Amino acid sequence: MRRAVEESVLLARAYLSRVCEPGSFVLWTFIERVGPVEAARAIRLGVAPLEVMSLTAARRSSADAASDLDAAERHGARLVVPESDDWPHVAFGALERVAGPSKPGVCALVPPTALWVRGHADLARIDARSVAVVGARAATPYGTHVTAEMCFGLAAQGVAIVSGGAYGIDAAAHRAALAANGITVIVSAGGVDRPYPPSNATLYERALENGLVIAESPPGSAPHRSRFLSRNRLLAALGTGVVVVEAAVRSGARNTASHALALGRPLMVVPGPVTSAMSAGCHQLLAERVIGAILVTGWEDVLSVVGAIGEVLPEDGYVPHPAGDLRDDLDQLEPTSRRVFDALLLRRYLTAEAISRRSGIGVLDVVRTLPSLILTNLVESGASGYRVAKRVQAPR
Amino acid sequence: MALARTWAIALTGVDAHLVEIEADSAPGIPGVTFTGLADTSVVESRDRIRAAVFNSQAKWPNRRMTVAMLPADVRKVGSRFDLAVAMALLACSDQVPAQSIDGAAWIAELGLDGRLRSVRGVLPSVVRARELGVKRVVVAEGNGAEAALVPGLDVRVAHNLGEIIAWLTGEGPVLRPAQPNVDSSDQASRPDLADVAGQTLAKRAVELAAAGGHHLFLEGAPGAGKTMLAARLPGLLPDLDDAAALEVSAVHSVAGLLGERAQLIRVPPFQAPHHNASIAALVGGGSTLARPGAISMAHRGVLFLDEAPEFAPRALDALRQPLEQGSVCVHRGGGAVTYPAQFLLVLAANPCPCGQPAKDCTCPAQARRRYQQRLSGPLLDRIDLRVQVDRVLHSDLLDEGAARETSAEVAGRVAAARDAARERWRPLGHSVNGQVPGSVLRSTPWSLPHKALAPAAGYLQRGDLSARGFDRILRIAWTLADLAGRAMPSPVDVAEALYFRTGHGEVAA
Repeated sequence: MRRAVEESVLLARAYLSRVCEPGSFVLWTFIERVGPVEAARAIRLGVAPLEVMSLTAARRSSADAASDLDAAERHGARLVVPESDDWPHVAFGALERVAGPSKPGVCALVPPTALWVRGHADLARIDARSVAVVGARAATPYGTHVTAEMCFGLAAQGVAIVSGGAYGIDAAAHRAALAANGITVIVSAGGVDRPYPPSNATLYERALENGLVIAESPPGSAPHRSRFLSRNRLLAALGTGVVVVEAAVRSGARNTASHALALGRPLMVVPGPVTSAMSAGCHQLLAERVIGAILVTGWEDVLSVVGAIGEVLPEDGYVPHPAGDLRDDLDQLEPTSRRVFDALLLRRYLTAEAISRRSGIGVLDVVRTLPSLILTNLVESGASGYRVAKRVQAPR
Repeated sequence: MALARTWAIALTGVDAHLVEIEADSAPGIPGVTFTGLADTSVVESRDRIRAAVFNSQAKWPNRRMTVAMLPADVRKVGSRFDLAVAMALLACSDQVPAQSIDGAAWIAELGLDGRLRSVRGVLPSVVRARELGVKRVVVAEGNGAEAALVPGLDVRVAHNLGEIIAWLTGEGPVLRPAQPNVDSSDQASRPDLADVAGQTLAKRAVELAAAGGHHLFLEGAPGAGKTMLAARLPGLLPDLDDAAALEVSAVHSVAGLLGERAQLIRVPPFQAPHHNASIAALVGGGSTLARPGAISMAHRGVLFLDEAPEFAPRALDALRQPLEQGSVCVHRGGGAVTYPAQFLLVLAANPCPCGQPAKDCTCPAQARRRYQQRLSGPLLDRIDLRVQVDRVLHSDLLDEGAARETSAEVAGRVAAARDAARERWRPLGHSVNGQVPGSVLRSTPWSLPHKALAPAAGYLQRGDLSARGFDRILRIAWTLADLAGRAMPSPVDVAEALYFRTGHGEVAA
């Protein structure tokens, strides 16, 4: 049974989320001390401590929690608060433990006051098995390729992919997760109703089908620069680990990486060509021994870091798509299919006519048989014909 | 007699209109004036007609004459009105009896010496004349065979104007009736499928195209036999029935291609325009009134575009509307003309611009890709069948003993399959599987059981097949079932269809 959050708490948290910019250590400690309802009341009446008042003076009287909640409902969003059942305690517990006042240039590591959430997935379950993937917006084809392969594999293994919904690595990560029918979470810097960049609006819509769009700022908030920086701490917290794919020397991805280290999250880095400026930041992270960044090259590597113990045993030569034992598959083939399969070569592609000649089976029967061989992953097709699939070529 | 009346036929595209020609002579300054939307080409016939009348030993009336061409809102272009105007003038000056020319239509150009000369578009003109109750038509000798294709009215041929005057005044013999050309050796000979060695899959694709009305894309190195295969496609299609033969012959008549030994075109036509053809040559065009283009000449037959990527992209895109509608509407200053253009499209392409066989090709992948991309997506979307044509093996080529199917055998299967499809789609107004929209094939009662769809569904799930590709598979599978005499496609049909969607079974969305 889900326990309903009291209306007064919900309104108070909505008000607090509007009245102060995200990532304020002062506000967070104040709420922790007096509770959200009392904190909201004190700020609205102007009787809160001076340092809290200075942070909230600008929006103290204009903030309207009820209308924010209405707007959220209109956009299909809900407010998740620490008092809710689906609050990701595991993720934000780390932020609580390291909470401290902000240092110059670095956003304070504090849990969010509340989260605005669109989508049906359960936020509390996501943080148990998830990876935050961050990287350059101006990604190279190498970066998007690696990201897509990695996130597809992870999502297929039931790992939620958390990222920021931007161009480049972010978008590639979300798309791959969606393609694998996996769960993906977009942590937005603006309001949940403000896709940024706007041209990724369709990506946001697709993410809602099988995942979440979450934001710390209330609906309608614009994605300001400071909100990106405070958003990055949520990315780091929501992932069981953080993967950096392509990062320049100075980049938001590095900012997220430093949060991950502060939170004690494993930091994984994908190397790139040493000649690529887009991977220079990655190499720097890997080169700094004290950081302890882990070099990863594929989803198997990532899973062995964030997955359950024994989930991946690299020595075994993990089979990506467990499709039953190969020998069983071959034994179950009908005689015609078996003869077609036996006529194929390992490396070179053969045309249907060539297969017909080698197997002695009519070419029309060959083309009728091939689809089922392809669908059982025994055969693959290419520009110039067919050959034995990679899975079968691997040493058994 | 100061007033005479007779008939001529105007042409707009393949649409003919009956035109009433009236001539009136009155006292005044001698001369002829035309009224009734007559084009410059008609007005300038005045001097030609005058010379023809003189040279036929007739008199040119020394009076003021007015020629009215009615209805006045139909545009009259060209020299096809010469004879009708001459007859009207002769009748109004009492040189031939006026009642002898009323009820007759005259379709010919006049030379200065009075000879009758052939004109284009006689067949649709005579067909229209019969429909509107004209009893008699006179044409030039060169058009006789063509006009004689239309039964049920009195068609006569004359050599010159003098003969006609003599006949009408009773001073000379009766004009000869037009004779149809019954010489069967004039029928176009069809190349036979048995001439093609090997190429089992490509032949199968051609058979499928014929049976299902699917447009076809042949890919392969030069010399692999793409043209040879395409040229054999018309021979697999059923002969044109009377209505279709008349439609096709009419277009050829308007284009001036029927010739003196005209016969009804019974064999589906084959058109293979060269790749530097202009848009006007391809879809029809001309300065004032458009002439039919290659796509209309291929009506009810096959339009073969060899080296398709070499065609101007705009010319290829101009095919999209006709492919959709089965006709093409060409707008010109002189008005819009609609020509029929229901054709089977066959594209052929080399894998790359250098034209070398794959193993000798050194073109960069980029160049090959760019070459393939010159065929626009919307055009390829309308093509159901795609097949790779590889060079024939020497063993196949030299194996003369092998039993190869003849066109007649395949055409028999094709005819049966077409009958089955026509019967099935009759309530929906389609005649071949290639015309049936995917939404119909996916809805009851035509949707296939899960078991039959399994291979395609698997490809779809893996992302190797797009939704549109899926519809194409369904269309091809139905044709395969029709060819095999099955009531519904089986899993085997669907599996085979998968091959013909992508050529080599290569993954393409």
